[in-house]
Amino acid sequence: MRFQFPAWLGLVCVCGLVSCGSNEEDPASGPTNISLDSPDYFPTNIAMPADNPLTEEGVQLGRRLFYEKKLSSDGTISCGSCHQQQKAFSDGKQFSFGVNGSIGEMNAMSLSNLHWQTKFFWNGRASSLEEQAVQPIEDPREMNLPIHEAVSRLQADAQYPSLFKNAFGSEEITAELIGKAIAQFERTLISANSKFDAWIRNEVELTPEEQLGLELFFTHPEPKLQLRGGNCSDCHLGFLTAGDPNGFTGFHNNGLDADENLPSGLMSVTENPFDKGKFKAPGLRNIAITAPYMHDGRFETLEEVLDHYNDHIQNSSTLDVLILEASNELPDGSNAVKLHLSEEEKKAIIAFLHTLTDQQFISNPKFSDPFN
Amino acid sequence: MKNLIYTALFGSIMMFSSCDDVEVPATMAMDISLEHVLDGQTLELNGKSFTLPSGEDFTPKKFKYYISNVALRNSVSGETYVEPNSYHLISEDGKKSIDLGMIPSANYDQLTFSIGVDEVANGKTDQTGDLDPNSDMAWNWNTGYKFVVLEGEFTNSNSGERQGLIIHIGTNPNFRTVTQSLTGVIAGSPTSLTLTSNLDELFKDPNILQLSELESTTIMFGEMAGKVAENYSEGFITVK
Repeated sequence: MRFQFPAWLGLVCVCGLVSCGSNEEDPASGPTNISLDSPDYFPTNIAMPADNPLTEEGVQLGRRLFYEKKLSSDGTISCGSCHQQQKAFSDGKQFSFGVNGSIGEMNAMSLSNLHWQTKFFWNGRASSLEEQAVQPIEDPREMNLPIHEAVSRLQADAQYPSLFKNAFGSEEITAELIGKAIAQFERTLISANSKFDAWIRNEVELTPEEQLGLELFFTHPEPKLQLRGGNCSDCHLGFLTAGDPNGFTGFHNNGLDADENLPSGLMSVTENPFDKGKFKAPGLRNIAITAPYMHDGRFETLEEVLDHYNDHIQNSSTLDVLILEASNELPDGSNAVKLHLSEEEKKAIIAFLHTLTDQQFISNPKFSDPFN
Repeated sequence: MKNLIYTALFGSIMMFSSCDDVEVPATMAMDISLEHVLDGQTLELNGKSFTLPSGEDFTPKKFKYYISNVALRNSVSGETYVEPNSYHLISEDGKKSIDLGMIPSANYDQLTFSIGVDEVANGKTDQTGDLDPNSDMAWNWNTGYKFVVLEGEFTNSNSGERQGLIIHIGTNPNFRTVTQSLTGVIAGSPTSLTLTSNLDELFKDPNILQLSELESTTIMFGEMAGKVAENYSEGFITVK
């Protein structure tokens, strides 16, 4: 069964879009509240933080800060340097360069549909977008600027104090307000115009190969019943194809390393040894244009990713049970963890993953660098 | 004069209302909380090992299930309250309560609910709230919802290897309705009920699950799923 949309729903969506920009408050009374422009098949149960409502002015300020190079110690990079719109806010590199040519140790994540996520960074160390947004400014491997220095640079700027006043009612800039503004802009980065979305809305058909890929993507295999599956949606859930937002449920050990090389991952945050080697399952929207892949960017192509899940899972003490237990063939007595997908099935899954690319998202002028 | 009449009328209404104080209010607050127990101990995820009825060890990682179509009844008077749009996703690391709000007052002595999602709701995925298909409880666009999910790991007693157990039970034949008797519910008094979900009951009564002997420890459809559903149809969720 396919998501069936009555025709009038389209009209409602358009109306929703229009009302989005409308001025709901007296302009004199403060910033203009706006709502997120998201499709109604996205989850509806995640509220906007009460202490950081989305406003026109907050989003505009956040966009400016996102692309503000003054927030790096030597003024050479901004958030947008490693999160580039044309690459769905990733940077195409295994590890990103910070100031002075310093290099990180994690792959820069693609950014989209962040409102529906609750834990941030590969190891989950931030519990809100507001908290996440300021950390790279201070991180010595990234922008390397003490946050109080960032605050005083912006405070001394000719424009920022009044922009903060418009957004938050005060010219006094704080680290907290920097985080809030950037978080507001990031929440507007909604990717919901891919071919997959058009298919959900019943506007297009998928090719037979894409359709097969979709079915495999959303199926956990059960060889006893000849039910074939790629096992992807056990971790990349629902229409968002993203990790479970419930606590740390969306963090998994996906078999990249054996016990002897297992990095701490989520364990560095929870101190639970059962969390060793677990990393955040990212949303897969725009995955075809966000190579390389995995927390350490070790795979350059989707073919390598599929080969990993199919043939090269490294067993370890915390390997996710949904991977440990998933196979398209009944156990053959060996201990190897293999998915047993055919070449054709792997190609079909990759074809489906390409339907997650959203051209409007990567060219939307609202998300682009305002300094250009 | 008119004012006086109004005053008199108003006064009599006031008196009436004060007389009502001794009567039972029309509605009463009712909520249900759920406790998860395995081997006599409070369930914990992602750390603690428990002993199954088979004697095998088991470390649970995820436990979620649907309780739906909640109804309360007085078996003598026949007074019945049926919760509208009654679908509750309960999970160990999420929601473990059902707030029925203010319901008609009665001395309810029976609680009826279903485990899973009824055929009508199970036939579509364009739903919101606890049936939002973006949670990992919707299988895909064809198969409906998982009713009961239990995932974890155990040590295979034959190989000594760590192995996963994936129990995903759904499909309409595995939908079960349970009725339990209640005591002590007094019409008009706010009431909090507690239900216990006994995870042991997924593994026994009548079908003992010996995990190390299973051909496949992914229990999703077919005969094995039916056996687990048989197990959960009685004794799995009970009034405390």
